[in-house]
Amino acid sequence: MSRLGPIYTLAVGVVMTAGLTVASATASPQIQETSAVPAAAGADPLATPEATDEATPDATQEPEEVAAPEPEEDPTPKKADYAGVVDQNGGLIAISIRNGKVVGYFCDGKIEAWLKGTAADNTLTLEGKDTLVTAALRGGKAQGRIEYKNKSWRFSAATVKKPSGLYRATAQVRGARVVGGWIKLPNGQSVGRIMLGENSGEAAAAFDGGVQEWYGIPLTPQDPDQFIDSFLAPAAPAS
Amino acid sequence: MSHTQVAPQHRGAVALLVIPVLAGGLVAAALGVYGELHPPTGFAFGLAGFSGPLAMKVWLTTLAALLAIVQVFSAFAIWGRIPVRGSWPGPVHRWSGRLAFLATVPVAFHCLYAVGARYDDPRVMFHSIFGCLFYGVFVTKMLSLPKRGLPGWVLPVAGGLVFTLLIGLWLTSSFWFFTTIGVQF
Repeated sequence: MSRLGPIYTLAVGVVMTAGLTVASATASPQIQETSAVPAAAGADPLATPEATDEATPDATQEPEEVAAPEPEEDPTPKKADYAGVVDQNGGLIAISIRNGKVVGYFCDGKIEAWLKGTAADNTLTLEGKDTLVTAALRGGKAQGRIEYKNKSWRFSAATVKKPSGLYRATAQVRGARVVGGWIKLPNGQSVGRIMLGENSGEAAAAFDGGVQEWYGIPLTPQDPDQFIDSFLAPAAPAS
Repeated sequence: MSHTQVAPQHRGAVALLVIPVLAGGLVAAALGVYGELHPPTGFAFGLAGFSGPLAMKVWLTTLAALLAIVQVFSAFAIWGRIPVRGSWPGPVHRWSGRLAFLATVPVAFHCLYAVGARYDDPRVMFHSIFGCLFYGVFVTKMLSLPKRGLPGWVLPVAGGLVFTLLIGLWLTSSFWFFTTIGVQF
């Protein structure tokens, strides 16, 4: 036996590790850029993020005219859905307001955070694991900052309408909970991540809005109207 | 085999292990520190052909575990505990070991680079500890192999530890996946 054989074995392992490091560091982000996704084809063809701002005048006017509204009247929309790109990070964030309660999801395919919080006076504060999101509602947009661990990114999320926005699916398998999260933009961009338990997960495939099959587990995406109550319920396990 | 050796020789022989054991300890500690400090990226480059990185890790670990069983039997043959004819146990042992080790590299890389060491869940905690120890003991064994005059127990003990740790790694990952999700590719 060559006395160097074991050393070669270790060396090949080191070289493999180096190759994987280089490949991983240069790998492209996990955002699905397809505009050929069926749900996008069904969406309004004008609905690029810019077009969406203009096309949603309902929320645009009132916040701009009064900087200091009457204390009795909260100008925060009762129901609104926002989604947009996180600067620098390149991931997506989606935020949905339902009567003062707010749910959100930030995901770049690699990292994710489910967020819950409150909305008042056109200001949003959401918290999730290792994550804090603050945003101001102006001109039909939610603009703010996301702090994730030691990082901080700005984002601007425009008002979106179904089928764009936030989706969540949960399933129980033997001994573990599966939670999928997806964000879809009007331009067809989508991102998602599926977690198995607390510690295992992977990026989701391109999102088409229908049932997502993950290792044989059917996941039915729900919009915020459907999942907000169970998501915000304090008894919900590990949400 | 050499239980009749006198004590001074034993001491000199054990001294041969200082560098392999130190190097293995350093590797295990370095992996643990990296797993703790490196911010998980949630993504790592891996082998194509599976539906996702979880499946890739589950099946490569299973391949390594199967090869580890080949390792145990070929080691028994090398040490004469299983009577075989021919000189094939040596090459079989070396090449099955090399393949098993290389199969684990993309797995461990994904674990450490994308996920990191975790201690908040018993399965993940034991998996993290076994993983760091596995590479430490493996390095110790690889560096011990070329040494002449080691006590006879060194390689069987090191090999037994590597095998046990790998099976522990398989039980806390692939076996968990198979029993939780099912046998999925």
